[in-house]
Amino acid sequence: MIKETYLKYIFLTLSIIIILIIFFFPFFWIITSSFKSPEEIIATSTTIIPRSFTLEHYEKILFNSDFFTYLINSLIVSFFSMFISIILSVSAAYGLHKLKFYGNKFVEYSLLVTYAFPGVILLIPIYLLFAKIYLLNTYIALIIVNVLFATPFAVWMLKAFFKLIPTEIEEAAYIDGASRIIVIFKIIIPLAAPGIASIAIFCFIISWTEYLFASILISTDSLKTLPVGLSAIVGQYQIDWGFLLSGAVLASLPVILLFLFIGKYFVSGLTEGAVK
Amino acid sequence: MNKILLFIISILFSFNALAVTNVTFWHMEGVPHRVDRIQTLIDEFNSANPDINVTQEVQNWGEIYAKAPASVAAGTAPEILVGIPDFTPILAEMGAAQPVEDFVAELDSKYGFYQKALDQYTYNGHTWAVPLWNMALSVWYRKSDFEKAGISPPKTWSDLKKAAKTLTKDGVYGIGLPGNKQLYTDQTIYSFMVNSGAEEIYNSDGTLRFDNPETVAAYDVYKELYQYSAPDAANWTWGEAEACFASKGCAMILQFTVISTYDSQAGGDADDLGVIQIPYANGKAHRAGTVSYVNSAMIMTEDPAKMEASKKFLSYLMEPGNYGRFINMEPGLFLPITEAGSKDSTYWDDPVVVKYKSQVETMLDNSTRGSLFGFTNGNTFTSISSISAQNLLAQTLQLTLIDGKSPSDAVTEGMEIMSEAIE
Repeated sequence: MIKETYLKYIFLTLSIIIILIIFFFPFFWIITSSFKSPEEIIATSTTIIPRSFTLEHYEKILFNSDFFTYLINSLIVSFFSMFISIILSVSAAYGLHKLKFYGNKFVEYSLLVTYAFPGVILLIPIYLLFAKIYLLNTYIALIIVNVLFATPFAVWMLKAFFKLIPTEIEEAAYIDGASRIIVIFKIIIPLAAPGIASIAIFCFIISWTEYLFASILISTDSLKTLPVGLSAIVGQYQIDWGFLLSGAVLASLPVILLFLFIGKYFVSGLTEGAVK
Repeated sequence: MNKILLFIISILFSFNALAVTNVTFWHMEGVPHRVDRIQTLIDEFNSANPDINVTQEVQNWGEIYAKAPASVAAGTAPEILVGIPDFTPILAEMGAAQPVEDFVAELDSKYGFYQKALDQYTYNGHTWAVPLWNMALSVWYRKSDFEKAGISPPKTWSDLKKAAKTLTKDGVYGIGLPGNKQLYTDQTIYSFMVNSGAEEIYNSDGTLRFDNPETVAAYDVYKELYQYSAPDAANWTWGEAEACFASKGCAMILQFTVISTYDSQAGGDADDLGVIQIPYANGKAHRAGTVSYVNSAMIMTEDPAKMEASKKFLSYLMEPGNYGRFINMEPGLFLPITEAGSKDSTYWDDPVVVKYKSQVETMLDNSTRGSLFGFTNGNTFTSISSISAQNLLAQTLQLTLIDGKSPSDAVTEGMEIMSEAIE
């Protein structure tokens, strides 16, 4: 019995180690390579741990490019997209979950269809539409597009979280005289916090990494987001690999920071001890 | 009353004097030092021409094919758009790119365009863009590698095959050739086609003449050479090939230039860097040439004031004294396309150009014999955009390199695919 538990433990530990290596090795390699000299980055004999150490790529990207402009633009667009997506998703998911109305299921599945719809097909129509209403070259254009793409799936995710909240809790609140608004704000949202944290990260990442629409809808350099700005400065015929690597590291930092900040909500149990 | 009238007229005149014509300049050279160089020239131009305000907006090559037509349809197109030859027919057909033959003739009389540069933009009775700079593929190699192996730089395909075979040893690939379905592969295979006499894609009536023995010979030699290339070459673009050469992983590569990467990442020994013309098929020395991409500026406005301002700005860029600085935004990559530009001291005085002068001279010489598929001898048809946009030359190459078909079958199938694409 002890032997069996021991073997299970080893097996699980090994599995976790393998998964961690598979997932984290590319990131680890990108990070270590971003500190290598240009010669070492492209050398035929690959090194995992840098033989050389240099900050020149970071210096170049931070002080000789518009990195901070792109960073601020990305932060503005991503935070607003995330914020609006959360408001819309919470409202829509709760409505679809609780309100019984004609066509409820149709709306629910339609949302999924819009998520599955390839966005690239909408590229030119959206460009022409935004041109007509003078939204080209604005943050609003990108925020609308990001919300458009992030919200449908976020609604589905959040609806699944809402389903896990026992109805008894809501009913108890109604018996105590709470209104629907109070129930939503005081009970549902706090209990669905892990779900909201999940969709917040999901929406942020969707907006943070969005490239295609950002490159089409924005023309002015001062409004470009990080993926578009970095793609332009890396070059086509000649690639500055150090620039590329340090850019990738710096571009992922805000997402990691956000995850560290919101991640704690994942740890708490959803409705642990709520109903006895 | 007269005084009031006079006052109004003088106000109107002063407004007119203050009127500034805005010109937006879209280009795809987003590397920071290139943007800075262009900005310097724009600032100089704007301060010398207070009635014109030029602003640059950097775009990406990957999206410009979708964005530019969309911007035309939406009425938000820039006044000047930098492009390459296979992009121009799309915008010319839309009525967006304006004919500029008179303006080009004026510049030609002053600075003397190389004819090959004009060929890529002259068709349907008009010149559709102002050539700005050239890029042409050459073979890059290390002289010391050849000396060590006891071989001379190749001139013919036989020499090239021998060199690639001899130099493939000790983890080094004799030649780095891409096999990706991408523009770089289009360029490399076409440079072999040029050197076997298959530079014409079209007959004069617009039908395709791709499937011919010369094309098959080019695909055949490419396939033979590909065995000496790196195993990951099927995914290469320009950057990977350059990195392979700079890291001494590849003994030879076909590239527009390697100078800046070689200088910053590979020791920068100018005496050891060799550059030659792409080798030609045996017995076809008279066919020696390469693939070249003349980048140009399309004028996208019909507004007379904006058009005039755009021309003034482009004339400014083409002027010796400015031109060298303009194309040296990336020294050793962009080559002059005018006689005057080739002699411009601001071009030759750049420290990188001074250091790699002999290599730049060879590149420049090669570029004057450059052609581009679909833009040769006046046999230019707008349908070429469908062939180049889908990288069908590269796709045909993959039929033989990856799918294992014979070069002859691949070319036949490739022509069928092209025929469908241009229908």
